[in-house]
Amino acid sequence: MTKIQKLKIVLAACLLSFAAIPVFAAEIFFDAKTRELKVNQLFEVGVFINTDGESINAVEGKIVFPEKLLKLKEIRDGNSIVNFWIERPKVSNGEVLFSGITPGGFIDKQGLIFSVVFQARQAGRGSVEIREIKALLNDGKGTATNTSISNLELVISGPTPLETPSLTGQAAATPPPVVENKDTDLPETFEPMVASDSAIFDGKYFLVFATQDKGSGIDHYEVREKFWAGFVTAASPYLLQNQRLDKKIFVKAIDKNGNERIVMLPPQKPLPWYRHYAIFGILLVLIVVGFLLKKLWSRHFTKNREL
Amino acid sequence: MKRKIYILIIFIFFSSFFRGELFDFNHKVFAAGAAAVQATIKITICGNNIKETGEQCDGSDLNGVTCSSQGFSGGTLSCSASCDFNLSACTAGGGGGGGGGYVAPITSVVFSGRAYPKSAVTLLKDAQIAATTVAGADANFQISISGLAGGNYIFSVYSEDNKGNRSSLLTFPVSVTSGATTNVSGIFVAPTITVDKSEVKRGDNIAIFGQSVPNSEVTISVNSDEEFFNKTKADAGGAYLYNFDTSVLEIAQHFTKSKAAQNGAISSFSKVIGFAVGAKNTLTQVPAETAMKRDLNNDQRVNLIDFSIAAYWYKRSSPPASADLNSDGKVDLIDFSIMAFYWTG
Repeated sequence: MTKIQKLKIVLAACLLSFAAIPVFAAEIFFDAKTRELKVNQLFEVGVFINTDGESINAVEGKIVFPEKLLKLKEIRDGNSIVNFWIERPKVSNGEVLFSGITPGGFIDKQGLIFSVVFQARQAGRGSVEIREIKALLNDGKGTATNTSISNLELVISGPTPLETPSLTGQAAATPPPVVENKDTDLPETFEPMVASDSAIFDGKYFLVFATQDKGSGIDHYEVREKFWAGFVTAASPYLLQNQRLDKKIFVKAIDKNGNERIVMLPPQKPLPWYRHYAIFGILLVLIVVGFLLKKLWSRHFTKNREL
Repeated sequence: MKRKIYILIIFIFFSSFFRGELFDFNHKVFAAGAAAVQATIKITICGNNIKETGEQCDGSDLNGVTCSSQGFSGGTLSCSASCDFNLSACTAGGGGGGGGGYVAPITSVVFSGRAYPKSAVTLLKDAQIAATTVAGADANFQISISGLAGGNYIFSVYSEDNKGNRSSLLTFPVSVTSGATTNVSGIFVAPTITVDKSEVKRGDNIAIFGQSVPNSEVTISVNSDEEFFNKTKADAGGAYLYNFDTSVLEIAQHFTKSKAAQNGAISSFSKVIGFAVGAKNTLTQVPAETAMKRDLNNDQRVNLIDFSIAAYWYKRSSPPASADLNSDGKVDLIDFSIMAFYWTG
């Protein structure tokens, strides 16, 4: 065997080795690679993660879409694998930014991060792209794992027969109809907590809360601190106005279909009974009423005796 | 030479092939920071009209059983909401009974498995505490939660041993069916693990100990350039101890973890504990659970409060040192990932 032959064999062995060794890479992908649509058509795009066998506990990135072609109608995160959003998916200038964590980590081939409902505005070709993705390992160090992405190619034709060429060489899928979200379930029950820490709000008491809604997803929260006051829109952490913590706190979670769950947090530092001035007020009223009744009764009794 | 090269090629090919097999983690459950779990968590659904293992029946699926086969003379056999036979409408002769009322189906999940004897077991639902229970003397536990909506949940289980050390978080996604009872069985909480020395003089022993299921076989891995595996048996109380001879280790930082096996079931790996091999012995001063930097408000828990404090400082300038977990001068996704690893709910 010549040296060249030996070299070839060693080279082939190396190549074979590289080809067969699995390379971990979390993949962020849509539920389709291509879509053929018509103007005004609604369609839903799911954003998924394949963790490729690794335990991932944090993910962030953005979805970029052509605003000329698509109008974002709704973002659905009800069944997301993300338990806590650092940045809840929201649209801004043709981009949907998102960032969140799954405590304890997550492993799956198709974990839903969130989905977006678009409406096709006009005919044309474009793509919905995934950018600036970060997926971190559940290793206690926040180690970034390799990531790969798959974008979504779109062809939007006019309301009548296709005016633009279809995606050549690809089996472009006609999207399934967007399922109307008939969520009638309340958001999950939850327990708000009061805390204080020198790191935020100058050490003042604040309220934290979070829950899930498996149907349509949480839209927003509202807080009410006083019995006679109304609910105000709030985000966690919420700086409490009543720093004495002597009143009940009500937190309302509202999902995207308008279903509401209200939970009550009892006073953290309830007043002793003698500090409840309402009790004295009620007692005073009762005494006055009793006194008046007694006076009326005695007058009535005297009148009857005179008769 | 030629033969050696061919053997090399075959070896590389097959080793790569089998590595590929081993890294196919489909349908396996993972623990925090641990390698793949061999144990299978079994999920069955009571209410899907399919009789599965552990159920007598499920809805209309009575598994071919009738009142007659149960020793009655007649009547109608039905299935209860808990997937047991309902024999109340079976007759032993005589007149028939009246109709029953409608019972609204309950959406619930029942978790069962093994932790440590008489240990506190905590169940997290979407990273928030949903229920706690105490395992029996045999380490078996069962937790049931109801009032859920149908949908995808991420449940996690951890336990605390008799020394107050917490296990790693065992996390598993479960798709809950509305109006049905989902049974999640075969949960095997990873052992706890501690070492008696933070630094050990090379050649001396280091005690690696913790708690698991009584009489289980505990495999201890000591990871350095070369990985050493040693086995020991947990006692009747679930406690295990292994004195590892450090003469085989280099002078450097090393890590150890453990997993347990019993009756064919195997747990995930425990948390990873570090120790140094050097020139002197230094006893471990504080349990690993204390002094948790990721516990921002020092309440011995890593939960929504800590998340909220960190979220407040997300992308803000000059965060306090307590919120900047990796000390890089900013609060970003990495800090949240570190927090998520140590999550307790």
